[in-house]
Amino acid sequence: MKSNVERLIAEKLQREVAAKTRRHFIKQCATGMGGLALGSIFMGCDPLRPQQAGTGTQNGFTERDLNPLATLPPPFSPRVKNVIYLHMAGAPSQLEMFDYKPELAKLNDQACPQSFLEGKKFAFIRGTPKLLGPQATFKQEGESGNWVSDNLPHFKKVVDEVAFLKAVHTDQFNHGPAQLFMHTGSPRLGRPSIGSWVTYGLGSENQNLPGFVVLTSGGKAPSAGKSVWGSGFLPSVYQGVQCRSKGDPVLYIEDPEGISRDLKKNTIKAINEINKKEYAKYADPEILARINQYEMAYRMQIAVPEVMNINNEPDHIKEMYGVEPGKESFANNCLLARKLVEDGVRFVQLFDWGWDAHGTDPSTAVDLGLKNKCREIDRPMTALLLDLKQRGLLEDTLVVWGGEFGRTPMQENREGKTMGFKGRDHHGDAFTMWMAGGGIKKGASHGTTDSIGFAGVDGRVSVHDVHATILHLLGFNHEQFTYDFQGRPFRLTDVEGEIIREILA
Amino acid sequence: MDILKQLLGRLHPLVVHLPIGFIIAGLLLQFVDRKKKEFTKVISLIYLWGAYVAVLACITGYLQYLGEGYSFNSVKIHLWSGIATALCCFILWARLATVSFAAMLQKIPVLVISGLLFVLISFTGHQGGNITHGEDYLVEPLPNTLKAALGYPVFEEKEIVLSETDWESAVFYTDVIAPILNNNCVSCHNPKKAKGELLLHSEESILTSGENGPVLTAHHPEKSDLFLRMELPKSNDRHMPPDGKRQPSKEAIKLVETWIAKGHPFTTTIGELKLPKSLFAPYFPKSEVMDYPPTEIAAAATDSIHYVKNFGLHVAPISERTNYLKVSALNLPTFTNADAPYLNAIAPQIALLDLGGTQITDDICTALAKLPNLTRVQLDHTQLTGSQLEQLKSLQYLKSINLSYTNFKEEYLSVLTEFKALEKVVLFNPEHHKTGTEYMNHGKTAVEYGNYTLPVISSDSIVY
Repeated sequence: MKSNVERLIAEKLQREVAAKTRRHFIKQCATGMGGLALGSIFMGCDPLRPQQAGTGTQNGFTERDLNPLATLPPPFSPRVKNVIYLHMAGAPSQLEMFDYKPELAKLNDQACPQSFLEGKKFAFIRGTPKLLGPQATFKQEGESGNWVSDNLPHFKKVVDEVAFLKAVHTDQFNHGPAQLFMHTGSPRLGRPSIGSWVTYGLGSENQNLPGFVVLTSGGKAPSAGKSVWGSGFLPSVYQGVQCRSKGDPVLYIEDPEGISRDLKKNTIKAINEINKKEYAKYADPEILARINQYEMAYRMQIAVPEVMNINNEPDHIKEMYGVEPGKESFANNCLLARKLVEDGVRFVQLFDWGWDAHGTDPSTAVDLGLKNKCREIDRPMTALLLDLKQRGLLEDTLVVWGGEFGRTPMQENREGKTMGFKGRDHHGDAFTMWMAGGGIKKGASHGTTDSIGFAGVDGRVSVHDVHATILHLLGFNHEQFTYDFQGRPFRLTDVEGEIIREILA
Repeated sequence: MDILKQLLGRLHPLVVHLPIGFIIAGLLLQFVDRKKKEFTKVISLIYLWGAYVAVLACITGYLQYLGEGYSFNSVKIHLWSGIATALCCFILWARLATVSFAAMLQKIPVLVISGLLFVLISFTGHQGGNITHGEDYLVEPLPNTLKAALGYPVFEEKEIVLSETDWESAVFYTDVIAPILNNNCVSCHNPKKAKGELLLHSEESILTSGENGPVLTAHHPEKSDLFLRMELPKSNDRHMPPDGKRQPSKEAIKLVETWIAKGHPFTTTIGELKLPKSLFAPYFPKSEVMDYPPTEIAAAATDSIHYVKNFGLHVAPISERTNYLKVSALNLPTFTNADAPYLNAIAPQIALLDLGGTQITDDICTALAKLPNLTRVQLDHTQLTGSQLEQLKSLQYLKSINLSYTNFKEEYLSVLTEFKALEKVVLFNPEHHKTGTEYMNHGKTAVEYGNYTLPVISSDSIVY
């Protein structure tokens, strides 16, 4: 009986399929395809929404069609045109650099009160850890009287140029997600980084250089990998171009062996000739864009190695930064950052690895290894600010310094055991960042933390707030700067972010 | 019994839809049956049912008026028009069913009664809606211009006007707190809407209204709902204004807190309360720093811009909000004095000009003097000595000149003291002996000599 029913159903299906001719199929396709096309014609759910950036037309297609890095004016009057973002990967300890907590010194070695630990997650701390007093001496510096530790003796000289954010907070406590959050506005993969947003929104003025350059130092790339300078759902042309400070600045930029510059030139000429003929035939702007890309790549082969060469800099500049030619160093990268910004590169991202001061060995102890890391960045970042200032570039450039989170006021007790070296665990409730440059209130300090530096009590700002402020200085309203993806507009600041006006001039 | 009365009363908003449905169905059927007249019996029956439920609606409506404490004036028109609707419905039934006791009705044309019924049901329904949703319910989404044309009140934003000089004489409530409440709260908390029975439009109502008692406790913001609700995170259900509505700024919330902490005075001035200036500074008029003159300018012709672009200069508006242009020779290091005429076509629009790293000489100043709105100019990394800078004296907006890495001669510096708007001159040159930042023109113009050094200190070589 059952098999009869099954046979009947099978026969019915068979008949149905047999009754459908190719014509039926094509006829049905027409409605389906039409529907799909309708979706894109009407721009998703909102037919009135203005189209993506750069769609003012000229001769039928836009400048952006031809050159994705063509400049676009920002919606509002910008205060800066370039950004240099210094990221201390691994998270620097604010308690040994900028956030002075004398109260914490008094409580050194005492058990951390339970009220701080309840409901909190830590990467490595287990049970009840002990508080760890500041492992550096602090003084108030400059006219602003902002606190800086003795770990940064050079930086003290420029303390009046910067504005501190003392109570930044993040909700991530592991490096990868926290770095992603800090640079893309989301702890999960897939969003564009700040530099990508900015190059997408503004383009790049220098025709021979990428608009978004990334430099790394400290021996390792950031834990989150290259996604922290990725373009996410934006066209990949807006992703950061990682330049190495050792060897070829960009991999495969040199001509292969046996291929001379002339031969390369002729090859590109020939390809472009063919492409131009194709364009004459089909008038597809994609072809023009491709012609442009070939030409730009060719120009970059000369321009990139030139700008990435610090040997031609005068000695007094090299000494100021403390560069180590031929090596991979934060100092070299700071000097390169200045050179790149001077040449009109829109966004320069510096990652310096090695700040994860857990205290598992001397190199990660807050009273040993951290001091070395501080020394490595102290001179270069101070030199960078002074060099930008003396060239009149600082007023057009925003310099941002920070990590992906901060560190605990408690000494780390991995697996609940007392450790041999003094270290601190990951901590996102309160950490310090600073900004300097155009539009920033010099010598400002916004936000305060509680007496042991565990959490912000006043002037707390989120990662989204930092992003909103960066975009504001570049002339964007972070709530209106969107890109349509998967049927809805996306923002760098998601649905949050408030401009931190307290640090704006 | 009272419970039953109240319950029935509350069913009124439900019951009213029955007569509406029957009457509309009757009217539609009449229209469909206008020629053949086959359904007259059915139609009259529908109107009879309609009349019955209209009476029921009238009764429940009256009970609701008694039970829910509406004033008679506010429901008067709705009540009488409701009764009229029920009556009219009976008449139409009697006319269609040719009931014997109402023979005289046969003289009235059916169409007249139907028309009257349609007007009555629409009017009554609208009046009822106005009572529950508020009179401006339908008008609210309209744009302000249309609302004003229809004679409805328009929500007006009040700006906080304070200035560097007279902020202390402003009355804290009238000039600061009232505008904050007006702009963020009053659109829901006014005599018409009164959400949560809270009224924030006047001094007395702020102190007395609110369904959970007054929202203010003098000197105690931490016990005052007015402040507490604003302070809550937006994700909290009790946060006010509701998520999605306009939100007061952090500064505004701080001011409300301060006002309550000071005992919510209505007439005292800021000066008398001895409040710090920093609280009010965000509301002082800001002189916006711009890289272009404050005057408007017509856009440069597209052709002219293309002409300059095709020559190899970078040209772009400074922002979408202005027609002033930024021109840069970043990609054209071969630019010479002889190329300056290319700028003529867009001369009035140029506010930012970067000729750094080009082949220009002192004579370029003749061309620059013809750019009346030039605000910032970069002439760094060139052969300039400054001998012709005098010509730029006429540029009334010129704010900054970058002459770093040039052959600038110190003797020409005095010329710059005559520049009216000049704020910054960059003269950094490693071959010069001067260092740091100096000021001239009574501190108005900063001269940046740079040449900063970071001397080696002992800690530079200590490795831990």
